[in-house]
Amino acid sequence: MKVTYNWLKEMVDIDVSPETLAEKLTAAGMEVEEIIYQNKHLHDVVVGRIIKIEKHPEADRLVVCRVDIGGGVVTQIITAATNVFEGAVIPVSLEGADLVNGVKIQKAKMRGVESCGMFCSGEELGIDENYFEGAGVNGILILPNDMKIGMPIDKALMLDDVVYDINITPNRSDCMSVVGIAREVCALLGKEQKKINLNYDIDVYSKDVIRNFVNVEVNTKNCLRYMAGAITNVKIERSPLWMRARLNAVGIKPINTMVDITNYVLVEFGQPLHAFDQNNIGGQKINVRQAVEGEKIATLNHCEYTLNNDVMVIADENRPMVIAGIIGGTDSCITDNTSTCVLESAVFDLKSIRITSRRLGVRTDSSARYEKGVNVANAELGLARALHLVTKLKCGKVVRGVIDICNQKNDVREITCSIKLINSILGIEVPTSEMVRILNSLGIVTKAFGDKLDCKVPPYREDIENDYDVAEEIIRLYGYNHYDNLDYNIFEKATVTEGQYHPRLLLEKNLRKILVENGYYENVSYTLVGSDINNKLLLDSEENKIVKISNPISEDISCMRTSLAHSLFQNINYNLSVGNKSLRIFECGRTYKAKNLPLVELPVERNMLAIAVCEDGYDFFHLKGIIENLLIETSADYRIEISKKPYLHPGVSADIVCGDAIIGSFGKIHPVVAKNYDIPVNVLYAELDTEYLVTLPAKKIMVKAISKFPIVERDLAIIVDESVTVEELLLSIKSSCGKLYYSVNLFDIYRNAGLGENKKSLAFKIKLSDLDKTLTDEEVNNVIKKVLKALQYKHGANLR
Amino acid sequence: MLVEKLENLKQEILAEIDKVDYSLRKTLTEIRVKVFGKSGHLTMFSKGMRELSAEERPKVGSLINSVRNAIEERLTAKEKEFENLELNERLEREKVDITEPSKGVLKGAYHPILDVTDKLMDICVSLGFSVVEGPEVESDYYNFEAMNIPKNHPSRDMQDTFFINDNILLRSQTSAVQAREMETRKPPFKIICPGKTYRNDSDSTHSPVFHQLEGLVIDENVSMADLKSMLTNLMKRLYGEDTTIRFRPSFFPFTEPSIEVDVSCPSCHGKGCTTCKGTGMLELLGAGIVNPKVLEMSGIDSKKYRGFAFGFGLDRTAMILNSINNIRYLYRNDIRFLNQMK
Repeated sequence: MKVTYNWLKEMVDIDVSPETLAEKLTAAGMEVEEIIYQNKHLHDVVVGRIIKIEKHPEADRLVVCRVDIGGGVVTQIITAATNVFEGAVIPVSLEGADLVNGVKIQKAKMRGVESCGMFCSGEELGIDENYFEGAGVNGILILPNDMKIGMPIDKALMLDDVVYDINITPNRSDCMSVVGIAREVCALLGKEQKKINLNYDIDVYSKDVIRNFVNVEVNTKNCLRYMAGAITNVKIERSPLWMRARLNAVGIKPINTMVDITNYVLVEFGQPLHAFDQNNIGGQKINVRQAVEGEKIATLNHCEYTLNNDVMVIADENRPMVIAGIIGGTDSCITDNTSTCVLESAVFDLKSIRITSRRLGVRTDSSARYEKGVNVANAELGLARALHLVTKLKCGKVVRGVIDICNQKNDVREITCSIKLINSILGIEVPTSEMVRILNSLGIVTKAFGDKLDCKVPPYREDIENDYDVAEEIIRLYGYNHYDNLDYNIFEKATVTEGQYHPRLLLEKNLRKILVENGYYENVSYTLVGSDINNKLLLDSEENKIVKISNPISEDISCMRTSLAHSLFQNINYNLSVGNKSLRIFECGRTYKAKNLPLVELPVERNMLAIAVCEDGYDFFHLKGIIENLLIETSADYRIEISKKPYLHPGVSADIVCGDAIIGSFGKIHPVVAKNYDIPVNVLYAELDTEYLVTLPAKKIMVKAISKFPIVERDLAIIVDESVTVEELLLSIKSSCGKLYYSVNLFDIYRNAGLGENKKSLAFKIKLSDLDKTLTDEEVNNVIKKVLKALQYKHGANLR
Repeated sequence: MLVEKLENLKQEILAEIDKVDYSLRKTLTEIRVKVFGKSGHLTMFSKGMRELSAEERPKVGSLINSVRNAIEERLTAKEKEFENLELNERLEREKVDITEPSKGVLKGAYHPILDVTDKLMDICVSLGFSVVEGPEVESDYYNFEAMNIPKNHPSRDMQDTFFINDNILLRSQTSAVQAREMETRKPPFKIICPGKTYRNDSDSTHSPVFHQLEGLVIDENVSMADLKSMLTNLMKRLYGEDTTIRFRPSFFPFTEPSIEVDVSCPSCHGKGCTTCKGTGMLELLGAGIVNPKVLEMSGIDSKKYRGFAFGFGLDRTAMILNSINNIRYLYRNDIRFLNQMK
């Protein structure tokens, strides 16, 4: 919301600088986001008059001008402009000027003749034809003859205001106007608001009353108040400079008297107005109603809309003339030829306007204002102010009477608050007298009785309902700086509570630490992915139902991911593309799968830990090692089985199984997936279901006795078929060792054609021990014999 | 005669020992054998003692001993000297270039967002907060309506939301967990919820996916003063002991009063720099007293209980703590970036 310092000054005796006022507004919650000095680029530019023009002795296209710049000073300026003449009043930029287009003025010699400045065009002053006549011409801006010579141009053109861009929070729609902000300024500076002139002259010579021009019917509950006035003898012309200056300052293009008046009132009172050409109101009848399904309207933004019953329209006898509160139709609006005008000042339900504006995709100054909520009292003020301006600008005659149909009560609300409660919310003591002073300064008429504050809340403060709202009003004006040096112990008056870590986050913290210490880098990826995720990962879309966003930014981030593999493969692809090698990455995050489509209940969000590696020399068994290290952190009693994950290589991947549940998988990625992500086939991927792991009981350590007698080691090399797994052999060895078993390790694998077809040689180190005695050779040999026998009979092994 | 001979032997051997240099250090052993060996010079003298008279014997005996000691002493000293030289030579030989690279796997690194989340969780747990989570794909009710943001209300404009359909959306704020927790927990309680949030907004300072941390305290008697002291403690522990915070009025539909919290800029300690655009303060949190309407909607008696809530962006916090000036770095997972997080 833009307002200007001078506009506010018209309503409040402001006795502080524009900068101080901005600081005070910000401190009270009216955040001034920007202060714009209109004349920032207009210093050292004055009104001058050309006294004499002579040809430049050395250049055909230049002329040398003698220029009166006031105060008896005459200077010399050379120009190439062709629209200047002797006696012309023009803007002159002198040495030191720093124009909006970046031009800095210095004294200079042009072809040997001195020039002490430059004449300015409208563009060089930052204005256009709409703002000032002649500002749009291609050449120097010729000013009116009666302008005071020597006057600074910012004063002469009324470009000397200071504009504030204020961020108005959604609860303060009452401040979406100069009047609203002026109310805040009054409270901040302890001033009374000056009366704004709402008087207008009625055309006393005419017998006409408003009903002779227009009749209004309201047939929808979405119209809370509808007021209309009529103006005859309308003169559509350029409005006066002071009005253009105000509109220009807040970023609105001046057009003509009637349009400017409606815009002026929109900014000043926050009241949108609409002007109809009375001749085009069919049957002189305005009907405020919901649209009939299929009705059409051509609007001022050069669009045609087909309407439905959700859309409120302002119609005449025959057709909709305006989409209520949003945009007018082309065939009912005022034109340069309009002689009689009907002026609408209405208040509509904010939700209705909001829904229609969204649905049609049309936002106007009017709809933006209505969406935030306009108080019904505002319609009356806005209409009166507009009619006042018509009188003031002498651009029409106001017809006797106004139409006013109001469907909403709008009374002062009385609320009672507790002083003790307010102080207890704030945690600091605000003196009661201060509370009363502050609330009264905001127009909330307040009296204190004992612990009670009786507040009469004006209708425009719809946001104030209870003690909490009143507490906020008090503290924002009392000043949040009262908390700056607060002496207050942490949770001084609060109950002691025990802080508990989230169990899964705690587990993840341990796992992440192991990974980081082993050279893995933690990733955080977008959980938003393209809709082709399942295809790329070869996932079944029935089991992995995708959650899709209805209003995505772009296709590639339009869906929720169904697997972390996608994120990590993309990250590998990205890193390789920028030349990073040896990649060990991991991510803790969620997958999102719909239970049913279209979505009726919330999807299943599952937390997973995923790892991906792309590194020379790092193979399946390295990955297996890190997975084992991670699982040691848990009490998981797991086995591994050949994996069925579609994105993993069917021969080089494993599922981690606990009971019936697959709690993770790891392995080489499927070559087709590698191709889909344009990453090498040797990428390895693993994932663990952290949500399952956290349900396991806490790990419990039970220390076994350590024998004081020596451990005996025996190495055993055997040849077996390739199909025999190491796991089977280890289990056999363990069970054959019986109670003397201490440990067994595979320490060598050897493959060679000499061993026979499909054979491998495995070497085990077997350790035996007894708690009670030193083992004899005989005892050891017996065990080893038993082991060998088992390996031979059960697995077809031969001693090597 | 004998005395003289012994004296000569002593002089001769000592001279011989003195002459041995490091390159011929093995000859020391030869000298030792030549003097003290089975048929060594001194051994021969000792053997010749038998032929001496009883009164000469002790005299010569002690003379032999003194010669033996003198030679032994000289030999040992020399041997010790050579041993030291040898040790030094070996140490010199074994010298490595200590600037050669280290071996084994180097540490990886945490992601800055989760690193700061971990820190904040530790601090908050120590202050009595429990860590909770909530769904990211959330109902309109919990994300908006229960937070006092009705459908088609102007305060919905504060956030551009990703919708799945009319009733389900991607949560635009971690505040969505507030109502869920209030419905299930019995006051008094303190919770924080870190997590991913989503907004339909992508430019040089906004990412459509980002992270927030929400805090909520429900108790009988908490106030803005508790909010101030608690946040001061939190920010000091995160940004350093000299950190200060400041309240400014603001608006959130679910708090009343609502405030923005400015934190003294950790880069310049409030003096003004490029990070804080010269203001010395950074706008880092939104907070306030929980709107009693929100309490009532979630079934908490607003006459008995009061609460305060705060929320802030973890991406921004991570960026400030690590002087990261490009938000894109956070989600690209470039190893050259992550490697700097060690």
